Amino acid sequence: MANTRRKATKAKSRKSLTKAKSRKRTVAAKSRKSVAKKAKPAKRAAKSKARQRLAGLKSRKPVASSKARKPAKKTTSRRAVTKPKSVKPLAKSPKAVRLTFSYQGDQVKLVSQQPVEMTVPPSDSLKGYEDHKGFWAEVKSAQDKTLFRRVLHNPTRNDAEVFSDDPEQSISREPAPKRTGVFVVVVPDTEKGHEVTLSRSSGQPDIAPEGSPRGMTAMRSLATGPATEIARFKLKK
Amino acid sequence: MGSSDGQVLGLTKIADAGPAVQRWNVVIVSEGYRSAEMGQFTIDAQQFANILLTTAPYDRLRAGINIYRVDVTSTESGARDPNSCGGTGAKPKTYFDASFCTSGIRRLLVGNSGRVIKVISKLLPQWHMALLQVNSSIHGGSGGAVATFSKASNAVEIALHEMGHTAFGLADEYEYYAGCASDNGHDNHSGSEPSQPNITTNKNRATTKWASLIQASTAVPTTQNANCAGCDPQPTPVPAETIGLFEGADYYHCRVYRPEFNCRMRNLNQPFCGVCQQVIAKKLAPFLPPS
Repeated sequence: MANTRRKATKAKSRKSLTKAKSRKRTVAAKSRKSVAKKAKPAKRAAKSKARQRLAGLKSRKPVASSKARKPAKKTTSRRAVTKPKSVKPLAKSPKAVRLTFSYQGDQVKLVSQQPVEMTVPPSDSLKGYEDHKGFWAEVKSAQDKTLFRRVLHNPTRNDAEVFSDDPEQSISREPAPKRTGVFVVVVPDTEKGHEVTLSRSSGQPDIAPEGSPRGMTAMRSLATGPATEIARFKLKK
Repeated sequence: MGSSDGQVLGLTKIADAGPAVQRWNVVIVSEGYRSAEMGQFTIDAQQFANILLTTAPYDRLRAGINIYRVDVTSTESGARDPNSCGGTGAKPKTYFDASFCTSGIRRLLVGNSGRVIKVISKLLPQWHMALLQVNSSIHGGSGGAVATFSKASNAVEIALHEMGHTAFGLADEYEYYAGCASDNGHDNHSGSEPSQPNITTNKNRATTKWASLIQASTAVPTTQNANCAGCDPQPTPVPAETIGLFEGADYYHCRVYRPEFNCRMRNLNQPFCGVCQQVIAKKLAPFLPPS
């Protein structure tokens, strides 16, 4: 009887020991998690700081790049993790998206969206251009409100600028039909930015009437009507 | 042909105004330079940087402008120069496949812009303006996403003009298409108001695009073309740098106006007009360090 009781007590105490150990383990895990949670913003800040500095890129002195690495190491140290308050808040880096388009005749495709930390030149006017001719890109909100606009020198022209040594007329144009190529638009990366649109004035078809001499074709680049939307693409989030 | 015909060596900052994330970043890339000629590209790129930073209005904005050089070697020197356009028939193996005679036009020198963009985006994601310097003494160049120019004397002017288009959306201010003597159908601009900031169809002194820059003493329109069948032959009636409304621009002889008699967007080897300078300065203002 006494033996059985002793066995039961032993089992009880073993059970409570295991419970205590597991409690200890949970607490330790929890505290590790909380430290990690606290460490994340510090790490992120350090990463962004390093990225900012690296953005200065290789100047002629290679010292610049090695300097950029140092703060990143510091902030990942235990000190930085346990004392997140000591990490100074950093100024926000300007966020942008580089949009690369390709075109073939009238067809325009968005081929890539590259997020970049960089400063974007200010927007062109957001009002009063509705009846204007030309070519522009716009960032639109989900409600189709224009948030940003960049006027471009029509990159999808079917003619080309030609340069000569003539001092009086050093620049002229010549038809260059069926051109293909790429163009790039950098726009701010904002929460509200939902889509990007391209607008272009309507023009003549990219074909010369039969028998028309070179240079007499009505060119798309000379389109005179107000621009209308020609393409719309979703911005990646 | 192509990227197997050379090697990307790397990026070097040749005009340092500060961190790339805060500045306006111009990148000049080499094309048709063999490894042994990279020293020459260093000199050519620096020469371009010096010209850019002493050209108005960039000279006043240099505190906001970084210039980088991307060294790319090619297996052979120069650019393709097809016989069909009266060229030498040279077909050098180069990294970006630059060629004269694009679309059958002798001086139209074009490289593979997509490849240029790929290379520089990897090395400097913060780039704003890309230029391709081609190692050829034949006069030529082109605009678009990558402004391309040769080493011919004055070809840097092509780059400056094209930068006006690509980076700042400036329009052409010349008043003809193929040439004053050969134009057909370019008498009257009959379209809507152009979206570009340096040309207008609005001849109202109070509401025209650059109204604030026109002196009360300047006549508006400042010049008028008496014969819209051709370019206006009259010399400027006002001193140089006078801002007004000069008839003829945007490939048309009449009914469209430019801000000054002459400008780099009208003719090479001319300074930018006051309106173009203001546009460039406004676009680059956010890149200047706080004073």
